[in-house]
Amino acid sequence: MAEFKFILDGKEVTAQPGETILAVAARNGIEIPTLCFNKKISKTTSCFVCVVKDVKTGKFLPSCSACPAPGQEIESSTDEVREMRRTALGLLLSEHTGDCEAPCTLACPAHANVEEYVRAGRKGDFLESLKIIKQRIPLPMSVGRVCPRFCEKDCRRNIDGKPVSINDVKRIAADLFYETYMEELPELNGKKVAIIGAGPAGLSAAYYLRLQGVASVLFDQQPEAGGMLRYGIPEFRLPKDTLRKELAHFGKMGGIEIRTNSKLDRDFTLDQLKSEYDAVIFAIGSWASSSMRIDGEDLANQGIAWLGEIAGKNWQGCANPGRTVVVGGGNTAMDCARTALRLGGDVTVVYRRTKNEMPASLVEIEEAEEEGIKFEYLTAPLALAKAEDGSLALSCQRMELGAADASGRRTPVPVAGSDFIIPADTVISAIGQRTIVPAGIPSGKRGIEAAKEDLRVFADAPVYAAGDCVSGPATVVEALAAGRKAALAVLDFFAGKPHTEPFLFNVSRGHWRNLAKEDLVYLRKISEADRVQPDYISMDRRKSTFDELFDSIPADKVSAEADRCIECSCTAKGDCLLKKHSTKYGVSPDMYCGQKPISTVDVRHEYIIHDKQKCIRCGTCVKVCSEVINKGLLALMKRGFNTMVQTALGEELPSYCKDCGACVNECPVGALDWKQKK
Amino acid sequence: MAAIKRIKVGTASCGIAAGAGQVFDALKNAATDVPVIGVGCFGHCYAEPIVEVECEDGTSVFYSKVKPEDAAGILNLTEEGRFSIPARRAELEKTLVTRLAGKINPIDMQEYIANGGFESMKKAFAMTPEQVVDEVKKAGLRGRGGAGFPTGMKWSFLAAKQVPEKVLICNADEGDPGAFMDRSMMESVPFQMMEGMLIGAYATGATKLFIYCRAEYPLAIKHLSIAIDAMKEANLHMLPGREKPLEIIIKEGAGAFVCGEETAMIHSLEGKRGTPRFRPPFPTDSGWNTLPTAINNVETFCNIAPLFSIGADAFAAIGTEKGKGTKIFALAGDVKNPGLTEVPMGTTLAEVVYEIGGAEPGTVKAVQTGGPSGGCIPADKFDTKIDYDTLGALGAIMGSGGLIVIGNNRCMVETARYFLSFTQRESCGKCTFCRVGTTRMYEALQRITEGKGTEADIAFLEDIGPKIKKGALCGLGQTAPNPALSTLRYFRNEYEEHVRDHVCSAHICSALTDIKVDTDKCVKCGLCMRTCPVGAIQKTDVFTVDNAKCSKCNSCIEICPKKAISRVNKGEGFNSSL
Repeated sequence: MAEFKFILDGKEVTAQPGETILAVAARNGIEIPTLCFNKKISKTTSCFVCVVKDVKTGKFLPSCSACPAPGQEIESSTDEVREMRRTALGLLLSEHTGDCEAPCTLACPAHANVEEYVRAGRKGDFLESLKIIKQRIPLPMSVGRVCPRFCEKDCRRNIDGKPVSINDVKRIAADLFYETYMEELPELNGKKVAIIGAGPAGLSAAYYLRLQGVASVLFDQQPEAGGMLRYGIPEFRLPKDTLRKELAHFGKMGGIEIRTNSKLDRDFTLDQLKSEYDAVIFAIGSWASSSMRIDGEDLANQGIAWLGEIAGKNWQGCANPGRTVVVGGGNTAMDCARTALRLGGDVTVVYRRTKNEMPASLVEIEEAEEEGIKFEYLTAPLALAKAEDGSLALSCQRMELGAADASGRRTPVPVAGSDFIIPADTVISAIGQRTIVPAGIPSGKRGIEAAKEDLRVFADAPVYAAGDCVSGPATVVEALAAGRKAALAVLDFFAGKPHTEPFLFNVSRGHWRNLAKEDLVYLRKISEADRVQPDYISMDRRKSTFDELFDSIPADKVSAEADRCIECSCTAKGDCLLKKHSTKYGVSPDMYCGQKPISTVDVRHEYIIHDKQKCIRCGTCVKVCSEVINKGLLALMKRGFNTMVQTALGEELPSYCKDCGACVNECPVGALDWKQKK
Repeated sequence: MAAIKRIKVGTASCGIAAGAGQVFDALKNAATDVPVIGVGCFGHCYAEPIVEVECEDGTSVFYSKVKPEDAAGILNLTEEGRFSIPARRAELEKTLVTRLAGKINPIDMQEYIANGGFESMKKAFAMTPEQVVDEVKKAGLRGRGGAGFPTGMKWSFLAAKQVPEKVLICNADEGDPGAFMDRSMMESVPFQMMEGMLIGAYATGATKLFIYCRAEYPLAIKHLSIAIDAMKEANLHMLPGREKPLEIIIKEGAGAFVCGEETAMIHSLEGKRGTPRFRPPFPTDSGWNTLPTAINNVETFCNIAPLFSIGADAFAAIGTEKGKGTKIFALAGDVKNPGLTEVPMGTTLAEVVYEIGGAEPGTVKAVQTGGPSGGCIPADKFDTKIDYDTLGALGAIMGSGGLIVIGNNRCMVETARYFLSFTQRESCGKCTFCRVGTTRMYEALQRITEGKGTEADIAFLEDIGPKIKKGALCGLGQTAPNPALSTLRYFRNEYEEHVRDHVCSAHICSALTDIKVDTDKCVKCGLCMRTCPVGAIQKTDVFTVDNAKCSKCNSCIEICPKKAISRVNKGEGFNSSL
């Protein structure tokens, strides 16, 4: 038979006898997804992701195996075909288990590639580690000190109670290389962005804009840049010399200018910025304290303002606050309490719920307790009054926990007749912060109203907003993520395309709380050492000075700590076809739910992992081993839903497989893979 | 009284299961002079064990449900236990293919020959192979395995291949639950099937014959082996004009349902894992070890000799326009007279179910044709004349001929769940739609029967079912959703009742059912209490079943002499945990 014609997506195309529809489509620039097609082996016809429609019969054909017939009409790109592919992908995902990404990476609000930078740290390559960190975290010195460590909360090693001390990898990597490492920067492209606020969100936006050749000017009303890092977080948690070193880098990058003592509507206006710059980003933070709504409130200090005042004096020459009561349970409350303590105060924290509900990081609460700060839990302030001798009296009421509210936290309810008075010299209110939205800017529930998708504030002008001023008070790392998002949105605006959040596709074995130790997969023998602990300075110094709590843990100890990481993410996350096509077709792993087949992970071989929970049962490995390598070490066993690839009698793959790896190289997912990650 | 010539005992597997072995021995012991022989099955399962007494005057007397102690009476030709085929049934049936089944000694070639055996072969061998193929085409014979592909056409494809070696396979891997016509034919008339294969080999030029028979059919395999040996002895495997004798091989299958699919069967015959492959190429282009190969079903081959015996024209005169000849059905389920029945194509479902099967009209709500790949047809469609196309139009399939009658007291959701549990287990696991899709369908049906289903489960079944049908690789997957889809089509109210009201009105789904004692009928005999394996029945002043403990095993219902215990809607019985 000679070359003939058929119709593919409405166009007449030619095919050679024996040529598959997939091959003809590829020749004609039509990309058909497939997982199981492989040129090296005979047809597997398994995944059915490559289906196309035969218009005449209405049947769907696997294009990897179906050869066109003369005159046949085939559709490969219609919605109906796409829906069938989505179905095939969804069904495959419903039996597939694994972790596309490590839980730590997913937990990080900035989605820093945690597992990768920890691995670099394990290998002692902290420069590489820093490079990976800075892809998402441009302020690693600060974050390495103040982050509440979202990553560690989701670390699978919590199963034995000892998550990897991830943030110390970041801290030492930054200590060692932050000042010397300079990114490869493109030439400035002429675009210029005005950023109001030189805190974490603003700095982050400036950084990621600069990486793409866009210059920026950061306007900040304070004498020094850094925002909350400079005026909120006290010296003992983040030394300002360290912060200054970190901020100096922005100047070195060229194209980022910081103008301090510049206040909106005093020193410049939004209209000026709009006319002089190509885009404007608000990153003004949340600097106003929330009200306690009690009588005599004006007798109390406002937490964040109080911290700012002391920071402005560089923690020097401040008066002893005496008997100090701090009201609130967040990180600002802890910072106020511990600052007051260091100034000589006798400090009590009053919080209306219990320690379990406190929003502050556990480590900070514990450090505060160690330092001798007293806690009055289940206590709410009623009124503040001033005695004739100038001392204060905070009337309080005992509370008990009632029903859970919408956020899941139990609501405190007053206990009748439990009023009592706490005498004090200083009362600090630190129950929360809010954003003061500048005049003329739309405001929402939490601050500036910005579009969820691209953080844009005005439809008719490229004005964006990011960080605490949009989200309400949050963490540094969240502000960095928001700043980056605003930068990417601005870059997309410059490129003339709409900004959309990428479809984040992820399959997960589940949260560590739902897993048992036996569920963990070990790619290598991991360290059984305990979690590394920092060496705190003496308690005397902690109580009486603003010295940093502890020095960075040395590199060798951090490398050893990183050896405790079990590297949860999929070995094939870079080249998994199931992930690639599912992402492209927008298929969620929970499109179809149901039981997973009973299967195991075989890690016996020194170099190769056989993770049957990821297997899509296409049999490519079986055919590669038998047809290409001529070994036949693998076979499909069992039937139906329990079909699996197995060695004879379930034996370990022979050691010589390390020199071949043909199956590993052809596996479309991560079912057969090298254990060692690059 | 006429003298007895010989006594025939139906000793096919079904007869033996009913006790024909002991009956045979008893008769053999009692009858000193009269020969007692085992014959195959003549279809009336409900009457087994069956004994036929052949008299010298050419008449026969039948006895049904014979026990060993009946031997003496039978030798005296007593009236008691005499059995005759119901007149209306005889009228509806047409024993063309099953003419000799149950009438002759299956493994005696001489007896087969004496009853017209190998006459058709002689007729065929007098023609050219092309003429044989044309005769089969003219007769309009379609494959009896299920899909109904014209046999003559398939043979012509194989005949057209100009290669020295070709393969003809008999598909004897009868796998549908409830289907047993192929087993019966192989056990009862192995020579008839082999005659059909020889004619097929002659017509197509096939040089190698395989009979792929499931290992669960030992008697069929034994009878076929004996028949093949006898035919080889008679040199029948040396076809006219051939230099080499035919190679005839029986291959025992390991019982995988999917190996009934032709490409999976070929893989299995090649010694590979029995999984289907994409077609084309069709087996007639590239089959067993890439040789041109044709596959026909047992019943199709059994049709060949009768076809040549009566001639293509007479054959084509039987049946409907698109369905020629007869079809053997395995009638099972809620009927009085289960068994095999051969009827002309075009017989209505009502005739088969009510008149042949003896089901009481009004007691049946549906039939499932085509086994787990087929669909349910509701009773109000029973006037349908059976052929390939009419059943297909109703969302069912002809299939190999299993016909399961579903009584009013059955739950259609549970019926669908049962069939899906079979297909999802029997999926070969190769293609995504079948391997995962049927499992997800099964899980949804399971949830519904357990009372945990939602509207979303129904919507899911209706969405994924057609996708699996359109997308799966082979016939197994493409038809697996049928039981669910056809029950949804005709009995959607039952699904809705399960998910919306948490009621199974047939009281089949145990999660939606309580057991209750009717205290008015109860005579307090205590049998139920003693029978209950979980101690769920208490006696206070009345007997009560505690549904918190009850395992819904039905033991009490079955033992109660007053029929005072029954299954009722959940919540209507007593439950100590509520």
